[in-house]
Parts: sequence; C-alpha cells; structure tokens
Amino acid sequence: MTLGTRLTQTVVSWIAVTCGGLAAQERPVAIQNARVLTMTGETLESATVLLRGGSIEAVGADVEIPAGAEIVDAQGGTLMPGLVSAYSRAGVTAPPQQDTSEPAERRGRFRGRGRGGSGSSAASNKAAAKVSDALYARQDVFGDLLECGVTTLAVTPEGPGFPGQGAVLDPAGKTREALTVDDEAFVLLSAATGTKNKELIKDGLEKAQKAVEERKKPKTPEKPAEEKKPEAKKTEAKAPEAEGKTGEKPPAKEGEKPPVKEGEKKEGDEKSEEKKPQPPQPARPAKKDPNIEVLADVLEGKRRAFLLVTSASDLAHFKGAIGKSEFPKRTLIAPGYSSTNGRLDEVLDQLEPFKGTILTSPTLTSPAYSEALVNPAAALVAAGYDVGFILGDSKRDVRDLFFKLMELVRHGLDRDAALAGVTLVPAKALGIDDRVGSIAEGKDADLLLFDRDPLDPAAKLVRVWHKGGTVGKERTE
Amino acid sequence: MRLSTPLVIAALMLLVTDDVMGQRRRRFPARPQPTEAARPAPAPEVAEKKKVEHWLAVTGGDVYLGTGQLVRRATVLIGDDKIHAVGHDLDIPEGATVIDATGKVVAPGFVAVKAAGMGAPRSNDGKVADSLNPYDPSIKMGLAAGVTSWLMTFDQGTDKPGGKSAVLKLAYGDLDGMVVAENSVYSMRVPLTPGQWEALRDNVKKAKEHLEKERAERSGDKPATPAAATPASAGGEAGRGSRSGGRARPGSGGASGAPKGTEEILAVMRGEAVLWVTCQRSFDNRAIHQALDVAALLGQGVVLDNPITAWCLPDEIAETGSMAILNPRERSAPDPTHPDTTGSNIAAAAILSRAGVAVAVTPPGGRFGGATLGTGGILGQDLHTLHLDAAYAVRGGLDNRKALRAITLDAAKIIGAEARVGSLEVGKDADLLILDGDPLHYRTFVETAVVNGKVVYEKDKEPFYRHIQR
Repeated sequence: MTLGTRLTQTVVSWIAVTCGGLAAQERPVAIQNARVLTMTGETLESATVLLRGGSIEAVGADVEIPAGAEIVDAQGGTLMPGLVSAYSRAGVTAPPQQDTSEPAERRGRFRGRGRGGSGSSAASNKAAAKVSDALYARQDVFGDLLECGVTTLAVTPEGPGFPGQGAVLDPAGKTREALTVDDEAFVLLSAATGTKNKELIKDGLEKAQKAVEERKKPKTPEKPAEEKKPEAKKTEAKAPEAEGKTGEKPPAKEGEKPPVKEGEKKEGDEKSEEKKPQPPQPARPAKKDPNIEVLADVLEGKRRAFLLVTSASDLAHFKGAIGKSEFPKRTLIAPGYSSTNGRLDEVLDQLEPFKGTILTSPTLTSPAYSEALVNPAAALVAAGYDVGFILGDSKRDVRDLFFKLMELVRHGLDRDAALAGVTLVPAKALGIDDRVGSIAEGKDADLLLFDRDPLDPAAKLVRVWHKGGTVGKERTE
Repeated sequence: MRLSTPLVIAALMLLVTDDVMGQRRRRFPARPQPTEAARPAPAPEVAEKKKVEHWLAVTGGDVYLGTGQLVRRATVLIGDDKIHAVGHDLDIPEGATVIDATGKVVAPGFVAVKAAGMGAPRSNDGKVADSLNPYDPSIKMGLAAGVTSWLMTFDQGTDKPGGKSAVLKLAYGDLDGMVVAENSVYSMRVPLTPGQWEALRDNVKKAKEHLEKERAERSGDKPATPAAATPASAGGEAGRGSRSGGRARPGSGGASGAPKGTEEILAVMRGEAVLWVTCQRSFDNRAIHQALDVAALLGQGVVLDNPITAWCLPDEIAETGSMAILNPRERSAPDPTHPDTTGSNIAAAAILSRAGVAVAVTPPGGRFGGATLGTGGILGQDLHTLHLDAAYAVRGGLDNRKALRAITLDAAKIIGAEARVGSLEVGKDADLLILDGDPLHYRTFVETAVVNGKVVYEKDKEPFYRHIQR
C-alpha cells in the first residue's frame, strides 16, 4: 500500500470509530477473561490474549499487558480463531476462460454433475490459469464474509479437468493486490465423467509425468550456439498443447524455466547431432506448456492439489483416469452428498489412496429411498480423515454455519472436530496453518469472540478481529 | 379269450408306452434341432488355465441352468467372476466362501432386453463406460427384481441399421465390471419406402461383396462357414444356426475398406451384432412381412421388437431364423376394419416357441410408458418385474422351462450377449440369483444376487423387501 493510502486509512479508521472503536494497527489489544479455544493445544478456561502488530503476541493465564493497550473484557465469552473458508466461489465473476453462455445461477459447484458429458464448457487443460486474475476487489461479499467471521478466504476456479489455480484472499483488501495473498495457492483437479473429460485428465497427467521425468534428467553443460536447434525434439509433442495455453503466462514461472529448458535442449541436441548443422538461428526458448508445467509441479509435490471428487461414482471414474499418478500434497474436496451417485463415506476403502485432509459439507444427508439421517462427516472423522468444512459462498451460508455444526455434533460429530473443521483443518488444507487457524504465539491475529460457547444456540458473535483490527462495529445488541 | 387278458395286456402296454412328452412331440413336432456343432460352445473348462483368487460356492439349491435343465440339490462353484462348475459332489477348494442355498432355488440372473436407468449414463457422450454410475440406487432395485444384465439403447435406428446400444450389468460398485459389450445390437424400423428398400439392398450387396473379398483373402485359414448362406436353417433354436456360424469365427479383422454405410450391416452379418427390427406403428402382419424380408435380404435372422400379430405367422418367422420380443401382458384389441387378423394373443409366446422361434419377454410400459422395465413405481406392488411377465406367457401356454429361457438365455441371445450371460454354464459370467421359490411364481423374492462372482444384493440388507418374511 502506498503511504498516501495508508495515511488515509488510518485517519478514516480513527474518525469512523463509535463504541469500542477500531484499534489502530500499532496499539496492542489485550483480551481478558476469555475462554480460549486454541485448536492446537488445550482449551484455556480463563486466559488473556495479547495482540500486537497484527499477530498474536502471547496467550496465557498471566500475560503481561503493556501500557497503552486497548483492554477488552471478554466476560467469560469464548475466543476462537477466525474462520477459514478454503473452497469458495465467493466473488468470482466470469473468469475469462470459462464459457459464459450459462446463466450465472447455474455456475455453481455442482454444475457438472448429473450430466454424462462435459457440460457446456469445452474442456481443456487450463491448469496455469489463475482465478485471482478475474477477481473484482470491490465486492460486498468480501466485507460481508469478514463480518461473519471469515478472516481467511480461498476461492477456486471451476470446470472439469484442470480449470486452474485457486487463490487465498485477504477479505479486507480493497484492491486486487491487497485482496490476493497467494494467487497460486492450489491447483484444482476436477473429476468428471464422460470420455472427453477423462481423456483430458489422462492426457494432462501423462504429459506432466513425462515432464517430471525430464526434470529429473541431469543437465549437461551448455554447448556452443551453432549447435542449438530452435526447438528440441521433445517439445514438438507439446506444441499441439499450445491451443490449451492461456494468454496469461504466470510471470513467476519464467525464472524457473531457463535451467530446465537447458537440460531439455541438450537432449534434442544429442539426438540430432547426426543431422546436418543448421545455420545458427537466434536461440529461441523451447516452448513449454505452462499448464503441463503446473501439473508437473503438482506431481512432484511442489504445488498443492485440490482433488474435487463429488461422489463415489466420480471417484471410480477419477481413479481410472489418473492411473498411477500420485499427488504428494493433496486435499480432497467433496462438496455436497449425492444420493444418486454414492457417497464417499460409503466407499472408504477406495478412498484410501487419497487419505489425508478432506473438505466436505457441514450437513447431514439421507441415503437413497430413505428419510433416515446420516452424518458422513462423523464417519470420515472416525475413519481417520482430517475433516474440514466448506463454509459457503455468501453471508447467508456462513451465518448459519454454527447451527449446521450444532446439528452435526448432535448427530455424533466430536465437538472439537467440528470447530477445528472450520478453522485449523481448512488452514491445513491450504498449507497456511503456520499463520492462521489457531490461537498461538506468532499466528495472525484473526479471532472471533462469542459471548458464550460458539455451539450454544444462543451464542452471539460479539467481535471479529482481523490482523489485529476489529472488523466493523462491535456488536452490543 | 378272456376279456381281462387283453385288458391287462393293454394296461401293460399303456404303462410301458405312456409317454406324455412323446405325445406332445408327436402332436407338435419340433423343428429339427441344429447339430451340436452349430451351437456356440461355451468356453471349455477354465479350471487349470488361470489361477483363481477367490472361490464362491452356492450349495444345495435346485439349480436352473437357464438352458431349460434343472439340476436338483446341486452346487455351483464360481471362480473369481466365472462359473467354474455346476453339479453334485463338487470339490470345493479351501478358503471358498460358501453360501448355503438348501431349500432354495438358484437361477441365472435375468436379462432385461428393454430397460432404463440403473446406472446408465444420462447423455450420449463418448464411450458408455466413461459415463456409467456404478452407485446408482436403482441398480439395487433392478437386482431386487432379479435383473443382472440389461440392454441400454441410446439411439433408435432409422431406415438403416444403426443406433447405439450397450449391454450393461448391475455390478454395483464395480465400474469395470459393468459393461459387457458395446453396440451388440443395431436397430432399424419398418416399413420402408421403396427408395429406402433400394438403399438397403444396395448396402447389403456391398457388404456381401466386402465379406466375400475378406473371405477370399483368408481362404485356407478356416473352412468357410456359411454365415451369409441360406436362411433355411430352420430349427428349434433357429436364430443360432446361421448367426452362430458367424460368431464362431474369430473376429474378422478391422473393417478397413468397408464401404460407407455398411459397418453395421457387416457387423450383423459377421455375427458380431444382432439386428432388431421395430415398427413405427402397430406391428401387424404386413410389417412383420417387411421385417422378414429384411431378414431374407441379410440371409440371417433378425429380432422382431414386439410384433403383436406374430402369433399369426409363426412358421414364416421360424423359417427365417428370427427371434421375437413379446409383451405377454400387453393386450390390444383386434381391428375389425383391418383385412388381416390383428390384436394380441396371450398365447403368442407359446405359439412362437412351439414353432421354434426364440422368444424373450419384457414388461409392458409402466408409468414411464414404453415397454421397459420400470424401476420407478413401487417395486413389487406394480408387479413390473420380468419373472411375472414370463409367468403370463406360461398362462398363455408357454412351457415352463421355455418361459425361464425367455428371461435368461434367449433374452441374452436377443441382445447378443449369450456368450457371457444368460445361463449357468461353465465359463460364463457368474451372475446368479438365489430365490426363495419357483422363479416364475409371484410370491418369489430374490434373496441374494451375485454378479461377476460378488454378492451385490441381499434381501435382508436392502430396504426394499426386508420387511417381508415368509
């Protein structure tokens, strides 16, 4: 942020204060008499949390409160980390690569389901596309979500196959730069049925596998310019992929390309030595498909993969499409429960290869032909998965979140798992649990203060801190 | 001579010669059965060829083989996903799962020649196998009705043989085990206009020439089997005679150089696919004659798709080696203004069967219309299940054993899958049902259904009939 913007913001924040008031960034905040749900450690019954400079400086029963600190008396209320929404479509307007002929209401998460084909968008490999490029920062939804307690937001692209990369956002940001914290937070792999989609997935992963193997090959020292061929042999196979390339080459990738290209070009040179040496041409960088490079990163574990598998049927097709590919850093996303295509908790043995973190819906559901209620989240927790919840795309969904969690707890989900599922686990899913998702020294000061236990039906969200600053007005009604 | 002696002699003679089945045969002489050689032999004993990982034995039940034979108190031994042996005193290997079916009836899984839903993809996109849903709950409904394989059709053929179809199995949870064959059935409709007849004759001629070329190139490999020879291989299992000759041949190489528009006809003539002929309006005698003309043109039998007045022309149908799909329960009133005899006849299946035509039954339209096995509705209360329609055919005079074939082996032939499903013979897929009564009785329920050697349905574990105990 420029100095001018920052100055204006500070002045505005001082002026716009009513009761409670927005604390300036530098003034430490001490929250006393709170029951602290740390998520990573023990629940502290009556403790003080000290915030300074946007981070949590100290947590404990006897924390020294510096002079000039703003003191907040929690009056026995509960303090928990801010909500982390790890998979959301909030604020994503029409991304340029997707087909916009479908009405906006239908561009929901479940768009591809129920249809045997690829739906309306022509499926292509867009793994390098970033959803953050299409974000419009000045949308109400971000502020609304922040007021409801969502202090960390991650948005995702959409579509079968490889629709692109998701981004982690700071909902308080008012410009695209301030909004986007990490524009390459994860790569979405979307399972889909239909021959075209499965071929797309298979093809993309095979090419990525080859790219990984090439990276592993040792790099030979650079040869003189005359012997450089304009295009290495291997990249010719990737040239047809160029149509899948988007216009947006991630600038950060350029840096890592040259060393890899060198190695590739050497392969081409060694193979074509017997060919007549062509007149020296300006050394053009060998064309590499950025989409394949992104997928190769995923297979190597350099990038995080979000595997979107909505049902048991999708899982069966997905396994067929990915073959032997493995994803070292992965999170499974299973939004919604399908009664017609099989639920994932019904096929736990098939889910084994993807064990780890799973993000799912915080709802109960019924099996086919039945009105009985089942709790898939509890079943997944019992099977050893780290279960996180998908909070929703709008204020309406998030406001009801705690009621949904209450329902899950009532039907057998462990309380701690329920609350961790909206804080720590989604942070782990995004790989940012070193910063958010728990209350401990050094973490970001994103906190929610309730006047009683959050899973109590009468609980009210009193105050939200985001990076040490209070969000909105303190609610006193 | 005393009166009593002739009487005694007569009585003795009667006792010795009283042969009810013989009398039946004399009254209704069956067509000469084709020789064993023409019948497609199921794969030979698989015992020592492949190492079996998992054995399943169903012991003690009365086993209907699906061919018409009944073996009482027998054991069916299944190795992985194929039938290994059927009989008495079988050697059950160590570690086999044993299901005791004593007092129960074991039958092959029923084959639904017309059905919908049950895991099929909802849109016609690419290969069928890539859009299947192995967790569709209506698969369980189908299994509760005893169906284990069925034919899915996407497009109906037009005036040319064509369309898209697939034979699917109700292998719940097993995506790879669900597809048996793709495009084993092509369909076309009659009546045709003279122009369309011309086109069809043209295409068939081109196809025949192509086949002759292929055969000439390969002469010397095998004795040429008269796949496209005369249709007069009338016989009990008439359709098999000529078509099986074609199918016994190894898959004749790629259709490279096949003239345009003849791929489907070639597949039918080679025995790789079955041609269904349906009628746009009611299937009366004129339409049947047109369909039989198609059969004569191709030189082999076709499948008549719900010919209502087929009971008027059984011999002509049998002569071409054709087969028929019937709805015994469907009733249509005769039309007095029509010059031919019209109207349905509940004895249609019996009449055709006696003439030697292979018959499959299918339920009449449920609330979804069309003659399909509706898995909507309240299963069991609307009685839209295959075995009950076979029972209706029995009511019309069809032999009991033939009625079971109408939903097992003959149905499998009609969808072109008899090499893999339809009967409990060695080498075929292990799809069987354990029933708690006679397969054609209305009170009978499926207790256990096995598909591809795995138990996929158990009556007391699923919500459909769990509450009904006998």
